[in-house]
Amino acid sequence: MDVVVVRSGGLAGLRTEWRVDVGAQPDADEWDGLLRSLPWRTATSTAPTPDRYVYRISCASHEATLGEGQLTGPWRSLVDRVQQTVEPTRRSRPPARPRSR
Amino acid sequence: MPYAIVPPYLLRRVAAAGDHYPTAAAAARRSLRAGAPSEPAPVRPFDPSQSYALPDSPSQPDRRISDAGGTTRLPGRLVRREGERATGDEAVDDAYDGLGDTHRLFDQVYGRDSIDGRGMPLEASVHYGRDYDNAFWDGARMVFGDGDGEVFAGFANSLTVIGHELSHGVVEHTARLRYEYQSGALNEHVADVFGSLVEQYARGQSAETASWLVGAEVFTDAVEGRALRSMLEPGTAYDDDVLGRDPQPAHFDDFIDTDEDNGGVHLNSGIPNRAFALAARAAGGFAWEGVGRVWYDVLVSGELAENAKFAAFADLTIAAAVRRYGVGSAIAAAVRSGWETVGVPVAAAEPAR
Ligand SMILES: [Zn+2]
Repeated sequence: MDVVVVRSGGLAGLRTEWRVDVGAQPDADEWDGLLRSLPWRTATSTAPTPDRYVYRISCASHEATLGEGQLTGPWRSLVDRVQQTVEPTRRSRPPARPRSR
Repeated sequence: MPYAIVPPYLLRRVAAAGDHYPTAAAAARRSLRAGAPSEPAPVRPFDPSQSYALPDSPSQPDRRISDAGGTTRLPGRLVRREGERATGDEAVDDAYDGLGDTHRLFDQVYGRDSIDGRGMPLEASVHYGRDYDNAFWDGARMVFGDGDGEVFAGFANSLTVIGHELSHGVVEHTARLRYEYQSGALNEHVADVFGSLVEQYARGQSAETASWLVGAEVFTDAVEGRALRSMLEPGTAYDDDVLGRDPQPAHFDDFIDTDEDNGGVHLNSGIPNRAFALAARAAGGFAWEGVGRVWYDVLVSGELAENAKFAAFADLTIAAAVRRYGVGSAIAAAVRSGWETVGVPVAAAEPAR
């Protein structure tokens, strides 16, 4: 199971992605506990603020989009941990997605 | 405000009487620059060699620079107030000077006193966070990170970045463009336009000699890139092993459909950016006059919807150019041609009389 953090926006508009294979971590139990503690269902993004980062955090069927200012508590702990565990990959252009129309 | 009531001819007379009534004269000159809303805008041929800005500045900035000390707590410790001497901390002093340059453009060219037009203090915090690769406007102040030292060298040393952040404040107090999808890209675009114009005005550069780069100072020497963005040639600002290639589209056909970055606001702004830079270069002269004035007119017109899309914005700029400079004017033609070149659909031209 992978946990994926995509940071976009910011003044520079750069896209940075971190991906951790949780099962392969020596402290997989701690990761599990942290992922379980996240308030996935109640996370709603607030009105965007100019040039602040936007975080999209996903794991299995869960996904949350949070502004930089909302990244507090367990969300902050998770992102810090992810960023300390793996090197990011940067891709300046977001992946193409099928048109919704 | 007095300029809504006092007839322009009287303002001109008071403005000319500077020796006898310096305060009133300064206020009248400012009102003339702001333009009386009840008076139809003059139709006159555009002369690139003529600056319509008046030389003195009746309003003063009220700057307050704080030091967040490497934390994310805002505002941090107040370290330099208006009129105080340089601190020796480069980020503090660069932010102070940059806010002064930004205030000067809005005040002297557009007759706007600060972000809200009513002398609001200009507040900035520097040294935000650790290795923080960003700068932003939080609704009350500009916030600048120091960068990580590997890719980003800092942000307060870039005048276009300071002008960009402060312009977000101006948008918030005028058109309030919603910060997502096309209206968000327009918000970004307007911030790039006035950020770039702050630098051009401070350096006395014409549209021809301007770099049209935003954030030319933010990268370290290790990065293969000129700047964060190129308004004239979106998509060419950097091409680097670590950062990848500048993703900005330069044409409406290449509009990026994404939910990331609040709907690609920092990506798709390349399209209107290029339209503006091309229009300014076609018009010639100083971009803060002419085309810059047209963009400012649209921003404060009350006609721009908060959720405006590119096409609606483009039509408003053409209408504003016609209103200020005339149907057959070089400025109106340059604005129309800028939008056509980047593929944004605009309403058919009115026949010139
Ligand atoms: Zn911005």
